[in-house]
Amino acid sequence: MSDSFVRTICPYCGTGCGLILRVRDGAAVESLPDRDHPVSRGHLCIKGWYAHEFIHHPERLTTPLVREGERFRPVSWKEAVALAAERLRGTAEKYGGNAVGGLSSAKCTNEENYLFQKLIRAAFGTNNVDHCARLCHAPTTVAMARSLGSGAMTNSIAHLARAECIVMIGSNAAESHPIIMGEIYRAVDGGATLIVVDPRKTAAAENARIHLAIRPGTDIPLVCGMMRHIIDSGLHNGSFIGERMEGFEDLRAFLSAWTVDRAARESGIPEADLRRAAETFARAREGAVVYCMGITQHACGTANVFALCDLAMLCGHVGREGSGIYPLRGQNNVQGACDMGALPNVYPGYQAVGDPAVRDKFRKAWGRDLSDRPGLTVTEMIGAAGEDIRALYIMAENPALSDPDVNHVLERLQALDFLVVQDIFLTETARFAHLVLPGACYAEKTGTFTNTERRFQLLRKAVDPPGDAEDDFSVLCRLGRALGLDFPYRNPGEVMEEIAALAPAYGGIRHDRLEKAGIQWPCPNTEHPGTAFLHKDRFTRGKGLFVSPDHTPPRESPDGDYPFWLSTGRMFAHYHTGTMTRRSAFLNREQEEPYVEIHPEDARNLTLEDGDPVRITSRRGSIVTTARVTGRVARGSLFAPFHFTEARANRLTNPVLDPLSKIPEFKACAARVEKIKA
Amino acid sequence: MMEEIRNKARELLEKKDADGVLGLRRGEEAVVAPHVFREPGEIDRLVTEPKWPLAKTAMRILQSSPRDFRLAVVVRGCDDRALVELAKRNQVTEENLRFIGMACTEEQAQKCLCERPYPRTIHGGKPQPGVHFLQDERVSSLLEGDPAERMERWAAILRRCIKCYGCRNACPICVCVPCKLEDDIWVEKGSIPAEMLVFHLIRAFHLSDACVACGACQEACPVSIPVMALQFAMRQVLKDRYGYEPGLDGARKSPVLKNFLEEPETGKDYPAWITHGGTGHE
Repeated sequence: MSDSFVRTICPYCGTGCGLILRVRDGAAVESLPDRDHPVSRGHLCIKGWYAHEFIHHPERLTTPLVREGERFRPVSWKEAVALAAERLRGTAEKYGGNAVGGLSSAKCTNEENYLFQKLIRAAFGTNNVDHCARLCHAPTTVAMARSLGSGAMTNSIAHLARAECIVMIGSNAAESHPIIMGEIYRAVDGGATLIVVDPRKTAAAENARIHLAIRPGTDIPLVCGMMRHIIDSGLHNGSFIGERMEGFEDLRAFLSAWTVDRAARESGIPEADLRRAAETFARAREGAVVYCMGITQHACGTANVFALCDLAMLCGHVGREGSGIYPLRGQNNVQGACDMGALPNVYPGYQAVGDPAVRDKFRKAWGRDLSDRPGLTVTEMIGAAGEDIRALYIMAENPALSDPDVNHVLERLQALDFLVVQDIFLTETARFAHLVLPGACYAEKTGTFTNTERRFQLLRKAVDPPGDAEDDFSVLCRLGRALGLDFPYRNPGEVMEEIAALAPAYGGIRHDRLEKAGIQWPCPNTEHPGTAFLHKDRFTRGKGLFVSPDHTPPRESPDGDYPFWLSTGRMFAHYHTGTMTRRSAFLNREQEEPYVEIHPEDARNLTLEDGDPVRITSRRGSIVTTARVTGRVARGSLFAPFHFTEARANRLTNPVLDPLSKIPEFKACAARVEKIKA
Repeated sequence: MMEEIRNKARELLEKKDADGVLGLRRGEEAVVAPHVFREPGEIDRLVTEPKWPLAKTAMRILQSSPRDFRLAVVVRGCDDRALVELAKRNQVTEENLRFIGMACTEEQAQKCLCERPYPRTIHGGKPQPGVHFLQDERVSSLLEGDPAERMERWAAILRRCIKCYGCRNACPICVCVPCKLEDDIWVEKGSIPAEMLVFHLIRAFHLSDACVACGACQEACPVSIPVMALQFAMRQVLKDRYGYEPGLDGARKSPVLKNFLEEPETGKDYPAWITHGGTGHE
């Protein structure tokens, strides 16, 4: 009955802050910051401070549920697992293994993601496994892997404080990664210049020395103009380029088309501001580029990331502690879910499914024949649901809210022969399931999360899952065995040993090594201390590669029928589809209702006042929400957070994909606004 | 010092004078976290660093424990004062508490700008001289000089606020239910930064007669807002006008809560250091 204090990791964003849960009588009753944590050092954001609130929510799933008509019937685990195995196996037998797909989860542990992709690949001989990284940083993994050889953040979060100039582009870390924003402010307090590039006047932009409010979707023009000016002024790092880079002449030739004048015109940034930003970044001894969804969630997302890599490498701002490229990963374990091979083209450790030697290694280890064909992505699987994809296993993802054009997603989900959803609440997606499996939340299990700086961190069990719910590791083991796989693991630590044996970059990761501060990969052996920053004397790929970023404007732009730009994103008190935050009393009271931001002049033209109900319509659909009149958005632009089920911003978004990474263009589509008469 | 603290903790448990000891435990691989020690045999894992204010945690534990539960707490000066203030506010009763007092190091006192870096009773450590907050350049630049410039400086700093509520949550004395910062008459919901005057100044005023200068609010702030600069100033007013320091005397009520006539001075004028710069009591 006495209180215990369990050190664990915050379940929200990719920062990976240390959280201490105070547990009393089997319940997590308070969240406290961990003063001894290497990343967060005693800090939490509003979500972290209230991370205990949803754990014991009465709507938690407590038993497996089977659909019977419009209702769900509680069933035993035995019955549930038998049904799942029978239906999934039956689908594979009837239509082939490629008719089965799996969406793994960036909310679940590394060990669970590993088991999930192993289950899909080994049991069905398909690579149809993916997860929500497709919707956030797929362009990062593609572009950074090509340019640098590794698709991950080059440095550590703590290194940001040592930068002299930070270019933050398409990231509002003040709301989405607040503890990382704190690190950036530490740099600013030490004299660094913060340059924020964002069409909105975000909280981060308000605190910047220079705010470049570009037109939506003009990141490449801006960055190309900056690079052109840097080269023309002789501010590029010639010795770094000479020794460590290739492709410079191609880039220089490419930039001949990007005069500063043209870049300024297209991006809407005055030439003088563009030049000043470029010079400040190039002249800094240590420069960092921080970016997020504003860069990646475009149909040219991969090219956007190429542009940023080019900019950093042009100035030699890679390979030192104070300099680097910082993609801020969204989910607590989206880095880990990628690392564990919950992607259709790679096994754990980014080993290509098309490489015969790699495939042979996994075939031997797993004892099953494996497919050499890359599988389908999240959006492709949903798009093919009911056709090429007949059965889908979704673990803790909520595409009914998170994917673009959700009206279409809902249709596709209903077209499936069999949908099994494993989650902690009956999500909007789970409502369409034929079978619902109750999983465990972060506080109810052990395992590891990998944060945005590649740090494996230990999650510690604080309380039991509610009712008959089980941790996802156990559920996966049950289902794997029912599908005839040899899943002999007694605990997640044993799974980590298997991962270490198969993926060289994580070869030295063991649970018992993670107690104090975790370990940053690459960590090839158990003597290795981990790697705080990458590309020190040589890039992972050898030489760094300049890749010319081709600019494609957003596929849809405002016109007479749909005169506004619409972009979507997060707000500070909520997280993604709101499954957890909207069930946390304190967070929900901060923002109970959906809203859309609209500029005061646009509001005046539409005779809208702050708080008025409005209808937002795009070519895909329509939502009813509340107008928030604010100068944060530019004239002609709208911003809608996507957390709210009653006004799903993703009913509006454009499902057009970036051809290289298949990320949808969440950040730009055309929409119109109508006032609703009360 | 640590041995003396451990000895006292062990003694309290062995003599059954306390049912538990709240302190810091060094776990596997030297990881430190709060812990309630129940057995004397565990005490060799009790540590005193890093600084980790525990008064609020002690209160939360006592509030959900049986009425006769006696909790010993390893207290620094600030924890000690916080528990005194919580007792005045009927959040804890001293009968349930045992104090294991430790004096802070000089280095810690400097870091906290602590005027009184030791508890009422000291079981371990040597009391170090206090530090005045205006010795710190950053704090003095925020409290002294041209008011318009100061206002700008404050506005620029407070614009960073991400409204995590960490300052309030970490504060050992912030225990009002309901909290004014959750009242949307005062604090706008759903946006950041929290509005400067209402959010931060409501908090500062609310704590004017309660703040024990533990610095937990500032340490919890992810965006480096020097919250304590506001609190130091508020504390100084009460000290100058009424000779009152929160947490020193459990029997003395806050002058703000008493009839003005009971106080030696009526507090009609401002102390010199606010209007003229300087501390007014150098």
